[in-house]
Amino acid sequence: MSVRLKLPPILQEFSGGVETLEVSGRTVAECLEELEAQFPGIKEVLLDRQGKLLRAFGVYLNNDGLHPVELDTPVQGGDEIVILNFLMGG
Amino acid sequence: MSSYNGRLIRLNLTTGKSQVEEIPQKWMKDYLGGRGIGVRYLYEELKPGVEPLSPDNKVILMMGPLGATTAMSVSRMALVTKSPLTGAVAKSIMGGSFGAFLKFAGYDGIIVEGESAKPVYLHIDKDGIHLLDAAELWGLDTQQTQQKLREKHGKSTQVACIGPAGEKLVRYAVLISDLRVGGRTGVGAVLGAKKIKGFAVNSSGPLSLHDADGFKKLTREIIEGLKTSPGRINMSDFGTSYLTLGFEKVGIFPVKNFQEGHLEDVEKIGDEALASIKTKNDGCYGCMTKCGQVRQVTGGTYDGAVSEGPDYETIWSLGGNLANTDKDSLIAADSLCDRLGIDTVSAGNTIGFAYELYQRGIITKKDTDGLELNWGDAAAMMALLEKIGSREGFGKLLGEGTKRAAEQIGKGAEDYAIQVKGLELPGYEPRAVKGYGLVFATSNIGAQHMYGRPRDELSGKKDRLTEVDKGKDIAVAESSQATQDAVIQCSFTPAVGFNAQQRSELLVMATGFKEFADPAYVEKIGERILCLERCFNVRDGFDRKDDTLPKRMLTEPLANAGPATGQVVKNLDGLLDEYYDALGYTRQGIPSEAKLKELGLDWVVADIEKFNK
Repeated sequence: MSVRLKLPPILQEFSGGVETLEVSGRTVAECLEELEAQFPGIKEVLLDRQGKLLRAFGVYLNNDGLHPVELDTPVQGGDEIVILNFLMGG
Repeated sequence: MSSYNGRLIRLNLTTGKSQVEEIPQKWMKDYLGGRGIGVRYLYEELKPGVEPLSPDNKVILMMGPLGATTAMSVSRMALVTKSPLTGAVAKSIMGGSFGAFLKFAGYDGIIVEGESAKPVYLHIDKDGIHLLDAAELWGLDTQQTQQKLREKHGKSTQVACIGPAGEKLVRYAVLISDLRVGGRTGVGAVLGAKKIKGFAVNSSGPLSLHDADGFKKLTREIIEGLKTSPGRINMSDFGTSYLTLGFEKVGIFPVKNFQEGHLEDVEKIGDEALASIKTKNDGCYGCMTKCGQVRQVTGGTYDGAVSEGPDYETIWSLGGNLANTDKDSLIAADSLCDRLGIDTVSAGNTIGFAYELYQRGIITKKDTDGLELNWGDAAAMMALLEKIGSREGFGKLLGEGTKRAAEQIGKGAEDYAIQVKGLELPGYEPRAVKGYGLVFATSNIGAQHMYGRPRDELSGKKDRLTEVDKGKDIAVAESSQATQDAVIQCSFTPAVGFNAQQRSELLVMATGFKEFADPAYVEKIGERILCLERCFNVRDGFDRKDDTLPKRMLTEPLANAGPATGQVVKNLDGLLDEYYDALGYTRQGIPSEAKLKELGLDWVVADIEKFNK
């Protein structure tokens, strides 16, 4: 199942400038595993040591925000996962 | 009917008299409120050369036109003065509820001038304005002071006060209301010099609005839309603590006084770790997000410590900046700073400066009252905070801020003072977000992250590491922030609140001023405020030479910072040129006559023209 995955520019610093890629997987987590396989080290930026997505990032599946982000959310062929970052603070 | 009361209290502490004055309606339309009207008064009433801690300085507390309404996150209060840290214009925006109740009492602001012979506080209620003796309050911490005033005037009394640090003129002392803080630039010291302990108000709403029904309808729509916003929920659940781990991964989170960008075991002070000891949310008047995270320590060295926070900045300043990953100590230190009434950003930055001087042997135990200052040592941090708050021993020097402390220490200490114009940098590494470097350099109040934010760089829409084509963005960001600070709109609301169009509609419905219907008119006000602040500084000799960054950022490659490793700020001059050009300033950083006239600041031209020759 091919899923379209779009990275925010801050993650493109770890993907050699690649913004959009096709990955396969049955869940968001599996898609991120393939992202890691293509760009080793990128998962370390996205996830904490327990494997949970850092809260500085948000995941949208077909324009629906997943909150809190459940990485075992199922995906289907043709879906689009968009990762955004919330980097602002006071 | 209008949400403006249209009047303020002028309190002269030298004479002990107060009077109520009308605020010119033209100033409301030209400067909105808050920081805008505050700066308008400051420019008008302070001559160049005024010593910040002298009776000639003034402190202006000013609300915005939407304050005390049901709109989201707009009841904050602006504090404007001349800073004892920088000698430049100062602004800080304070949350809480005090300002809303000041408006309910019938006043949009307070101008404090002169100097009292003895400690006093101001009490405002339905019977009038009373200047009262504060002998019993002098020396109390901010929480004790608020408690005493509530015991005296009633449980619902809203209080804003200084702590012992303000009384002792620590140059980065703050004003506190509940556990909300205002005064990164040392407004607490200015109030302390005037011997005013604080302000108390008893009042009740609601406020009159030009179109109350329309206002209510729109605010409800906005709130409905926000209920499911992931960004807002993040803020509610974690406050700004959710930024720490993400920033550390990409090199934005400065460590060991900006020596590097990696903190081992940063998770120990990350959002999850801090959430594990959260007890409840707290927030400002009229805000559904309530981003304040009340946390409590159970057991261990800091058993029982409670604070509303720490927020990202304090997690950085007293945590990462000192390589301190003891979360319990962060709660205790945050609480201590709030009680003493000192700014956690400048305090943590200054302590980091001291730790680095100790690391390099520039100072020793002989200088530090016997303390060993080693990275990660929370106990030493706590001891230094106590010393700073009481201005005892080594704390007396650190209470001067890094710029003055470095000048007194000598021996090259200046190279490790991470400040601009005398204000210590906050927790954003300029070498990893070059737009922030430009903000810190150009900010009229010194290095402050809330003076303008390079949103496109932080969100990743624009390359954060390049050093061209950023001057215009930052000029817009700073102008936009000035508008927000005049409204006064919480800095989080553009992302998790209302947009510029909705803001204009709210302003018209609140005030009845048709001019505000045009978002471009409202945005232009920010540029006017920014320009007037610059003119205030220009009169005191500030120009391009002061728009710079610490030597470290300009010469030392950033270490251990992920994709930002090796970065330095190489092209600050080019960025400054872009910024000045975008704002219509000369290449010396001084507003041109044409720009002053375009902004309706013709009356300033005569003051500034001599600096443009």
